[in-house]
Amino acid sequence: MVLEQQLLPYFQWLLYGGNGELGALPKFALVFLGLVMAALVVGYAIAAARHGLLRGGDVTYHTIVDGLREIVDTSPRRIWALARLAIKESLRRRVGVALGVYFLILLFANWCLSTNHQDPARLYLSFVLTATTYLVIGVAVLLSAFSLPGDFKTKTIYTVVTKPVRAGEIILGRIIGFAIVMTVLLALMSVASYVFVVRSLNHSHDVEVDSLEKIVDASGNVTGRSGRTTASAGHFHEFRLDAEGFATTSTVNGHTHEVEAVGDNSFRISGPNGFIRARVPQYGKLRFIDRSGAAKDRGISVGNEWTYRSFIDGNTPATAIWTFDDVGPHVREDYLPLALIVRVFRTHKGVVGRPIQGELRVRNPDTGATSDPFPFDAMDQQVDEYNINRELTTNNGQPIDLYDDLVTKDGRLEVLVKCLERGQYFGFAQADCYIRMPDGSPAASYAKVCVSIWVQAVIVIAVGVTISTVVSGPVALLFAAGFIILGLWRQDFVDIATGKSYGGGPAESVYRILTQANVMVRLEEGVLTTLLVGFDRFFAKPIMWAVAQFLPDFSAFSTVGYAAEGYNVPWDRVFQDVTTCLAYVVGLALIGYFLLRTREVAR
Amino acid sequence: MSDEIVLQTRALTKVYRDFWGRQKVRALKALDLEVYRGEVFGLLGPNGSGKTTTIKLLLGLLFPTEGEALVFGKPASDVGKNERLGYLPEESYLYRFLTAEETLDFYGRLFDMSPTVRNERVDSLIKLVGLERARKRQLQEYSKGMTRRIGLAQALINDPELILLDEPTSGLDPIGTREMKDMILRLKDEGKTIVMCSHLLADVQDVCDRIAILHQGELKELGRVDELLTVADVTQIRARNLTTDCQNEIRDVIARHHGELLAMDNPTTTLEELFLTIVRDSEARPGRRAGVR
Repeated sequence: MVLEQQLLPYFQWLLYGGNGELGALPKFALVFLGLVMAALVVGYAIAAARHGLLRGGDVTYHTIVDGLREIVDTSPRRIWALARLAIKESLRRRVGVALGVYFLILLFANWCLSTNHQDPARLYLSFVLTATTYLVIGVAVLLSAFSLPGDFKTKTIYTVVTKPVRAGEIILGRIIGFAIVMTVLLALMSVASYVFVVRSLNHSHDVEVDSLEKIVDASGNVTGRSGRTTASAGHFHEFRLDAEGFATTSTVNGHTHEVEAVGDNSFRISGPNGFIRARVPQYGKLRFIDRSGAAKDRGISVGNEWTYRSFIDGNTPATAIWTFDDVGPHVREDYLPLALIVRVFRTHKGVVGRPIQGELRVRNPDTGATSDPFPFDAMDQQVDEYNINRELTTNNGQPIDLYDDLVTKDGRLEVLVKCLERGQYFGFAQADCYIRMPDGSPAASYAKVCVSIWVQAVIVIAVGVTISTVVSGPVALLFAAGFIILGLWRQDFVDIATGKSYGGGPAESVYRILTQANVMVRLEEGVLTTLLVGFDRFFAKPIMWAVAQFLPDFSAFSTVGYAAEGYNVPWDRVFQDVTTCLAYVVGLALIGYFLLRTREVAR
Repeated sequence: MSDEIVLQTRALTKVYRDFWGRQKVRALKALDLEVYRGEVFGLLGPNGSGKTTTIKLLLGLLFPTEGEALVFGKPASDVGKNERLGYLPEESYLYRFLTAEETLDFYGRLFDMSPTVRNERVDSLIKLVGLERARKRQLQEYSKGMTRRIGLAQALINDPELILLDEPTSGLDPIGTREMKDMILRLKDEGKTIVMCSHLLADVQDVCDRIAILHQGELKELGRVDELLTVADVTQIRARNLTTDCQNEIRDVIARHHGELLAMDNPTTTLEELFLTIVRDSEARPGRRAGVR
């Protein structure tokens, strides 16, 4: 699974940060302070323009003081009344239609999805979860953007604001009401989609009786039978029954079946196992040794623009080395469960149809004691699972114990991976090798993915409600949609604002579009281009940078990849997302409060 | 009526501007008003005279360009004042997907009322405005009169001390109009202060103690209705069962004292009175048709 940034433990993320980022709480405080300062300056400027310098200051002061007092006076009962109103309004606006549309999508989804796929669970899960995400966010935008403007248009807001209702209660009530609607909608969609995926992937096979062959050991005793299943869902499995008549089939399309002989030629085959998983990885730290044997932080580049993975050359000393902490019998008493994902980069075809070979060894980082290599066939981007037995031998054939001899006293262990074929390359990122902890519950992990969708929907609702305090419904809709789009490409936006990505600012871009000069063309020097570049540098880009500070990274919120690729969503991730959501709701509700409070409702 | 000032405006001015800040219209010009506890105060004026703007400024729905509006001694922008006032807008701007019961319950919750108090208020107000049989119906099914009545009920949900009524009889039939006026007088008897704006002069005359007449945003007249309407140089005599001789004698007396007789004839009732009499009679004796006495 692609994990570009290491997931920090919740409290470290909240307080101290990491990965070159500040802690979430200090960052929130800084952004909040920045916004408050900006709001003070803009608010005073407007008040001074309307009422004069002194009276403007007085108005600004009273707005802030009264605002703070009103926050204290906030009543949960009023908020709940307004939330109930928002729920009723949503029902009146036929929010249930979204559910109907969703069921319709599921009804016809099987026309486009196939179980005859290398990883059908990934296909199905990513489809249903992506559909859920877009539908829920779409409904959230529509509901939130048109609600308050609707009240302004029909003037029903008059009868609300002339009651002892604080502006913040109107904002929070709307957000909470729509969030409840979204929660119910999402819950129904999630249950329906989970049932849909499980039922769609469910299938069974029979045993191909003609394929059965006896397995005979060296002394001629029959130790079992081998055979294969009939084809179903576009595939079949091979199996080897043991002496008791039990077998687990080969893994095909990401799943296995249990086979049990219940008579001479009668078998019972279970439904698919392992389609939907929630792997719990324990990641290590990755470093490299290059072809000359020198230690490196990264491998070599094979020319990919995406630098997530770096590569090691085949048949050279180049090695990828992961160091794991906290290794010991508590993981597994009798073996160490490992998983390895290899990105294979070929410079020549090699032998057609034959995978590239590699080897894996485990080593004690202190003593240097190393196990015999385990050869493996690397299939590109497939999760290969290995169980490293406790009883191992060293290079020179000495027996050693995995946990006693290769793991240090403080629980460290190194895993070394090499590519064995000349002219071929293996690519690795830190998350490509991990210790497999016991799998989590797939249903629970699925629910956690839904929480991340919920988080996105609630942020969108908060944005929609807040902006709709000052603009009409369609404008609020466009703003919220723009917010989501910018949020989805936040990193690109930040990279342009900070000059990390080249492409000029908005003014330069418009100029390039109009003059049909792509980014590789050097702009002609002149007064106009100087002005445009200056405008971007000193005005547009600083604004873009400021906007980026409170723009949510929607692409990072999505945990659909976890479920689709069969990984458990860590609780740290869930808590971080929910905390971020809470911060947005609080921040946006405050902004919405002042926007609504300073608006003439009857204009 | 006491001397306690419930509502006050000082040089209250409102200028409407366009998006670019250019002046569009000066809706209210330096209005000075005081409304005392327990009185029914009427704001009169033709359309566009600034009546509704004044009400909206008092409610904090608009911000004054200059001057200030005080309600219970607090600035109009103070939300706290709303605890003690009720407002019936020109049209009943209510959530049409709610039933009467839900509407009142919703507004009751906005006053942070406990469920017990809220339920009691909802029941009594629905009874008061005569909507018992329609309490479970959505407002979108209501007639204009019913909507006005539930609008009034929501304005009274908190048993307010001050009630602002914007064109309270607008869109009502004569019976509804009379009921509304009776309701206003009843509320006055309960000690409430009422400010109403209307361009229906007869309505204002019937219920208001004092009036202010606005025209083009300026206060043109302010005072007690009875004083303002008294024509000092005209004497009105009303008598029953006078013979023709007696009427002639009165004419002679007036002439002898150099008075000018303006009119001596049989008075007409108001159309409102006639209409109400007919409707009440019809309710008392259903089936009777016109011309059959």
